[in-house]
Amino acid sequence: MWFRKDTAILGDFEQLVLFGVLRLEDEAYGSAIRQEIHARSGRDVSINAVYTTLDRLELKGLLRSWVGDPTPQRGGRRRKFYAATPAGLAAARQAYGAFRAMTVGLAGRLETK
Amino acid sequence: MKQQAPRLAVSLLGRRVPEEWREFLLGDLEEEFQIRVQRSPSAARRWFWRQTLRCLVAPPRARSHSHHAFPISGDSMLRTLVADIRYSSRVLLRAPSFTLAVVAVLALGIGANTAIFSIVNTVLLRPLPFDEPERLVRLFHVPPQATFPGMPRFAVSAANFYDWQRDARSYERMALYRFRPFTLTGGGPAEAVVAGAVGDGFFDTLRAKPLLGRVFLPEEDTPARGHVVVLSNGFWKSHFGAAPEVIGRTLMLDGEVYTVVGVMPAAFSMASWSITHRDMWVPIAYKDADRAVRDNHNDMVVARLKPGVDIAHANAEMKDISQRLERDYPKENTGWGATVDPLQEILVRNVRTSLVMLLAAVALVLLIACANVGNLLFARSLGRSKELAIRTALGAGRARVFQQLIIEAIVLATAGGAVGLLIARVSLAASATLLANQVPRADEISVDARVMLFALAVSILTGILAGVLPAIRAGRADVNDALKEGGRSDAGTIGLRTRRLLIVCEVAFSLVLLTGAGVMIRSLLALQHVDAGFDPHNVLTMKVGLPETRYKTPAQTTAFYNDALRRFRALPGVQEAAAIDDLPLTGGSQQPIVVDGHAELLPRDQPTVAVRKITPGYLRAMRVPLLRGRDFAEDDVHVMLVSRAAAKLLWGDIDPIGRQARLPLESKTVVQTVVGVVGDIREAGLSENPVATVYEFTREHDWSHLALVARTSVPPLTLAQAVTAAVRAIDPEQPVEEIRTMEDVRDDTLTSQRFSALLLGLFASVALALASVGIYSVLSYIVRGRSREIGIRSALGAKRFDVVRLVVVEGMTPALIGVAAGAIAALGAGRLMAKLVYGVSASDPLTMAVVSATLVGVALLASLIPAYRASRLDPSEVLRAS
Repeated sequence: MWFRKDTAILGDFEQLVLFGVLRLEDEAYGSAIRQEIHARSGRDVSINAVYTTLDRLELKGLLRSWVGDPTPQRGGRRRKFYAATPAGLAAARQAYGAFRAMTVGLAGRLETK
Repeated sequence: MKQQAPRLAVSLLGRRVPEEWREFLLGDLEEEFQIRVQRSPSAARRWFWRQTLRCLVAPPRARSHSHHAFPISGDSMLRTLVADIRYSSRVLLRAPSFTLAVVAVLALGIGANTAIFSIVNTVLLRPLPFDEPERLVRLFHVPPQATFPGMPRFAVSAANFYDWQRDARSYERMALYRFRPFTLTGGGPAEAVVAGAVGDGFFDTLRAKPLLGRVFLPEEDTPARGHVVVLSNGFWKSHFGAAPEVIGRTLMLDGEVYTVVGVMPAAFSMASWSITHRDMWVPIAYKDADRAVRDNHNDMVVARLKPGVDIAHANAEMKDISQRLERDYPKENTGWGATVDPLQEILVRNVRTSLVMLLAAVALVLLIACANVGNLLFARSLGRSKELAIRTALGAGRARVFQQLIIEAIVLATAGGAVGLLIARVSLAASATLLANQVPRADEISVDARVMLFALAVSILTGILAGVLPAIRAGRADVNDALKEGGRSDAGTIGLRTRRLLIVCEVAFSLVLLTGAGVMIRSLLALQHVDAGFDPHNVLTMKVGLPETRYKTPAQTTAFYNDALRRFRALPGVQEAAAIDDLPLTGGSQQPIVVDGHAELLPRDQPTVAVRKITPGYLRAMRVPLLRGRDFAEDDVHVMLVSRAAAKLLWGDIDPIGRQARLPLESKTVVQTVVGVVGDIREAGLSENPVATVYEFTREHDWSHLALVARTSVPPLTLAQAVTAAVRAIDPEQPVEEIRTMEDVRDDTLTSQRFSALLLGLFASVALALASVGIYSVLSYIVRGRSREIGIRSALGAKRFDVVRLVVVEGMTPALIGVAAGAIAALGAGRLMAKLVYGVSASDPLTMAVVSATLVGVALLASLIPAYRASRLDPSEVLRAS
């Protein structure tokens, strides 16, 4: 194969979700990730898209998950938390690196004033 | 306080989201919802619903490590459906001629249905273009039945209206209105306009807002300040070029200055409700004397019910008020009740029965189309039995095959529906002018969302209906038989019973339709040949209204009309000219009458008659027979003519000549003497009985709006120019309106019958064509299937005639059963039509016999071609081929 097999290539939305998980550290669960993406990127994504992607990333071994305790403001429902695995961190680094490498010297044209 | 997330959304999500995520996903949504509720509860709800819809549209997929290898969910059914639709489209595109035939037949059926439904939708279903139209009502008097037998509603008298307005609690607003003819002068040739004269609150009752300026102020409903006018959109465009600075300009109406204060929007004018369909509106501006009139009923009333008040309650209240008014004013009000009817109801009442009948008729056409298509699908499914058998052998269940075939039928029907929608639009546009005279609100008829939904629903239903029998039959086919190589193809005999049943249905439906059409046409012919009591041929009619401001005295109006009639008589081609206030068949005054010496009775018990004002010569011009006595003479004073029915009503068998009577509404003192008895006229309509009528001499009344009639020896309309010129020669500012022949006036009363007869005739001929094609195609198919049998028979010595008879009997048996079944159904349908026909029974035996004979003839013809073909089969070839 011509691509490096050990680091997964992330899609655009997968990147957003993975970065969201990294940013939120211990508090990364569906709704928080959705709001983080909305607040930072302006994309008002649907919760089911977030879940589908979280699920796919977990399946690829980039995320791991655990279940928290029920809380009253969720109507007594539990949260499912996510955190990046080492492979997930590697994939995020890879994406970030690619992004940086591709945008070197473009700041003048890409940044909006 | 904690807000609840939308419960319906939560429950929908609970169903749609895979179980492994449900708790977390719902919890997440709930959590964010609670945050958003703090800012704006309604926005939070909207957000929740948006999220829900996105989940429903593309639900998160369950992860593959779930326990089902092939999850059975709603998705798989949907996917099968999509696959079936795709497959159907491919299969159908591969048989273009079959597809085209089916789509064409269905497009005709669905198109006709959609067109009629568009009309029904607009006329009967769509709300009126006013705010909260369901609360708008019309108020009427109910006249005493002894004097106005069979008349359910009557115009309202002004004094009673003001009492209603004061006492009734059921209404938010009510207003009275009437029509007021004006002569418009000052810009080009004089023009006759009929304005709406509206009482205070008229526009507010309808909640109609002006496009420009304002509507009337309460204080403008007085003679002193009533010289203001609101223009219709059409008049504003035609006379002021839609100039926005029209407000404040003036119009010369009957020689008086009216100031324009407002312009209404185009949507305010509804052709079916004539008060809104005027050139302009002025305040009714009654004087105190006008407001006190209680015994003359000339005004219309519209009102808006208070929220929550229903018609029954309003009617009960009106009953109480009417009873009180009867006690307070026994002389004028005894026997006069009141009734409240929804405005919508009043506008559509006359057309409902015929529209429902047309809808039923067009549904029958569709059923026939269904039977035809069912036949075609059936033939096709037999031809495809091998393909279906292979699918069954590969594991497709019977239900699966059934679904596939039904979906094919629905795909076909939907394609037909799409084309049908187009047909409906085109035919509605093409018949717009025809429709305008037939149904209320014709100008609003369009294909809207509801019509599209209807077309879609009808298409799907049609698909199911046409597809279900063939699909059931195909599902039953024996796999083994079908797969056997060279298996005997007795296609012609399979499902024979089903196909015969389809022929029976087609013939029966056609018979019902043809009978309906036949009866309507006979009724129309009967009406056209009814003796109306006058001779409408070669009579030119026109209306001339003299403005009171310029023709102030009776002497002036009389001089004008005499001059005009004299000039008419001098025209070459005119034999006689005369005038009447209202032409026959166009309505007119109805009044109580008091016969000589008798005391004036309570209005309830007084006989009433139609009262018409004529000039000498009218009887000759219209060829109304003078039965006894004499016609008016120029110098007559206080005389009247009575129709035969009036003579009988008022004097029984006594000779009325020389007897006297009074018309108390016109004068309390003047007593008129009967000088002649004339023939009866069907005043109330060609299908109604003659009306008791008395004729007065116009000269004795300052009557300013008359219809002029001229008996001609040439085609009447060739004189239209000449009569207009004659009037203009007397008064260049005087308009002449509605120049028509009397035959046109008469035919106008028949438009709805003509409309129904035309459409029914059209539907019936389509039905007949479809039925004959249906019989022909089934028989051809049978003959092809049985060619082997026929070949053997011929080889064994059957004569050509025997073969023909064999096939014809095959075709005629179901056709005859269909005729019998259809005759029974037509008797039933006759009940629906009874109200719509005149001079002929709705289940007229002659019509039915002719129609049955026609259908039998068509069926025979349709069987003869396949029979002839069968008789030409060469036995040796047929036998060798099999």
